[in-house]
Amino acid sequence: MSQMPSDATRRIDSASSPPPTGGSPNNSPTLSLRRTFAIARNAFREAVRDRVLYNLVLFVLLLIGGAIFLGELSAGQEAKIIVDLGLSAMLLFGVFIAIFVGVGLVYKEIERRTLYAILSKPVSRGQFLLGKYLGLCATLFVNVLIMGLGVSLALVYIHRGWDPLVVNIWPAILLIYFELAIMTGVALLFSSFSSPALSALLTFFVFIIGHFSSDLKALANSSSSASARFVFRALYYLLPNLTNYSAIAAASHGTVPDLASVLLAIAYAIVYSALLLAAASLIFGRRNFK
Amino acid sequence: MKRSLLLISILIAGLGAAVALAHVMDARRIADQNQADESLYVSGATAKRLTLGFNGLAADWYWMRSLQYVGRKIVHFEDTHDAHVSFSSLADLDLRLLPSLLKVSTTLDPQFMAPYEFGATILPEINSDYAIELLNSGIAANPREWRLYQHLGYVYWKRNDYQKASELYTAGGKLPGAPPWMAAMGARMKAEGGSRNSAREMYRHLYDSSKDKAVQDMVEKQLMRLDSLDDREMIRQVIAAYQEKNGRCPVSWREISGQLSAARMVSTPNSGRALKMDATGAPLDPSGVAYWLEGCDVELGKETQVPRK
Repeated sequence: MSQMPSDATRRIDSASSPPPTGGSPNNSPTLSLRRTFAIARNAFREAVRDRVLYNLVLFVLLLIGGAIFLGELSAGQEAKIIVDLGLSAMLLFGVFIAIFVGVGLVYKEIERRTLYAILSKPVSRGQFLLGKYLGLCATLFVNVLIMGLGVSLALVYIHRGWDPLVVNIWPAILLIYFELAIMTGVALLFSSFSSPALSALLTFFVFIIGHFSSDLKALANSSSSASARFVFRALYYLLPNLTNYSAIAAASHGTVPDLASVLLAIAYAIVYSALLLAAASLIFGRRNFK
Repeated sequence: MKRSLLLISILIAGLGAAVALAHVMDARRIADQNQADESLYVSGATAKRLTLGFNGLAADWYWMRSLQYVGRKIVHFEDTHDAHVSFSSLADLDLRLLPSLLKVSTTLDPQFMAPYEFGATILPEINSDYAIELLNSGIAANPREWRLYQHLGYVYWKRNDYQKASELYTAGGKLPGAPPWMAAMGARMKAEGGSRNSAREMYRHLYDSSKDKAVQDMVEKQLMRLDSLDDREMIRQVIAAYQEKNGRCPVSWREISGQLSAARMVSTPNSGRALKMDATGAPLDPSGVAYWLEGCDVELGKETQVPRK
């Protein structure tokens, strides 16, 4: 653990070293990207060192247990239940990682005072946040990818061979990943100005409300008061609409969402995450660390 | 080392004590059936909103709960009565929560077909209105799913409403992906809805289209019942012919075994099975148990697996 700050700073140092061709090194887009990726790589390594990926062991045990015992309990619905169980666990574990690791990304650096070492390098606070965000997204990507492969293998095991669900579940997995990317952004936003406990709580609330966003819209439409209508409508657009990422039940029936809705959901996740990161950078940029 | 051993001992002893206490508490708990039948406080629609995207998993949970509920009721019935539960005695199980459990499961995941199929098979034995409500909600959510029309047609057939059953089979037969026999069943149901042959055909299609072992078992039993009805009809004819010729009823199967052997060659053209006989000449029912000769009538044996209704 004690090696981490030196790792991070060393990587940023090497990313900041001027290119052999010369020019204005510190602000070139290539260098900025290299610095951001150095932070991202470090955040990923830190998550791995923190044994975040150990949740995969629990996940695999859950799937093995499900694959073995569900046949007895589900009256021929093993495949559906394995997909529901696997993808729901993927979302749940991912949300927990996004929340509990996400809220600690910035706080830990402040607490250990390694942030000062990093920010003393030619790294902007925005780059620092973006790097942390990408690092956790990479961790979640590996997590989701391995879990998806686990579910696919469990389906092959249940069917004793090929099952079309093995392919059909992947669009839903992709949507889960982008939902987690949004939640990571939310966690990072809250952690940029709040304590970890409060950030975790607020992020969890956003996760819950995000799945009720259609109710917010319905409330806005059914409300007689103009101000209430405005408030609910504003909340509907302000909070992430996570219902667009709920494709688990459909995936368990082999239903693949149409390409347009998947692409729109991905575009929404990218835009919303960019907004969250911009807001987090704005707040974090004004924070006084003295 | 000593400290570790002590801690491990405490862990083992604690675990043992916890298991023992759980056993004591389980034993003290009154096996109150009403406790298991506590009403569902959350409706399907509310449950769906509360599940935060985990509605598929929640639907699976309610589905497995439905199966456990029926299973528990069967075990309790067989423990407290000196009888096995058959399909015809499902009404005696007091499955009052089953319609709600299936409804919640299908509301949480309207594309989940297994609860509809299970409901279509089991609920008509309790109250066919529940089955109709469940299947109509299924058709509303999945208007292009021909299997739901098949199941609803079956429920109406069970109610002897052959006209409605025919309409549903015909409507389902027009949907994309529906097998040709759906339309044929629609026509057959209209022409001879109450006949044994149409029942047999319907059960066979139900068997072929089902993946649920419980449903397949039920269908197998019903097909056995239909075959047995054919058997008994044929045996009664042989007995009647014997009575007419001899002026009395046969005392043993051996007296009419020759006639039964001759008759079985031409019997049951619809079921496709020939009447088997044991070494004593007694005809065997589809479950392999000898029929019982009672004067001039024939009855199912005591050990038979063939449902009586």
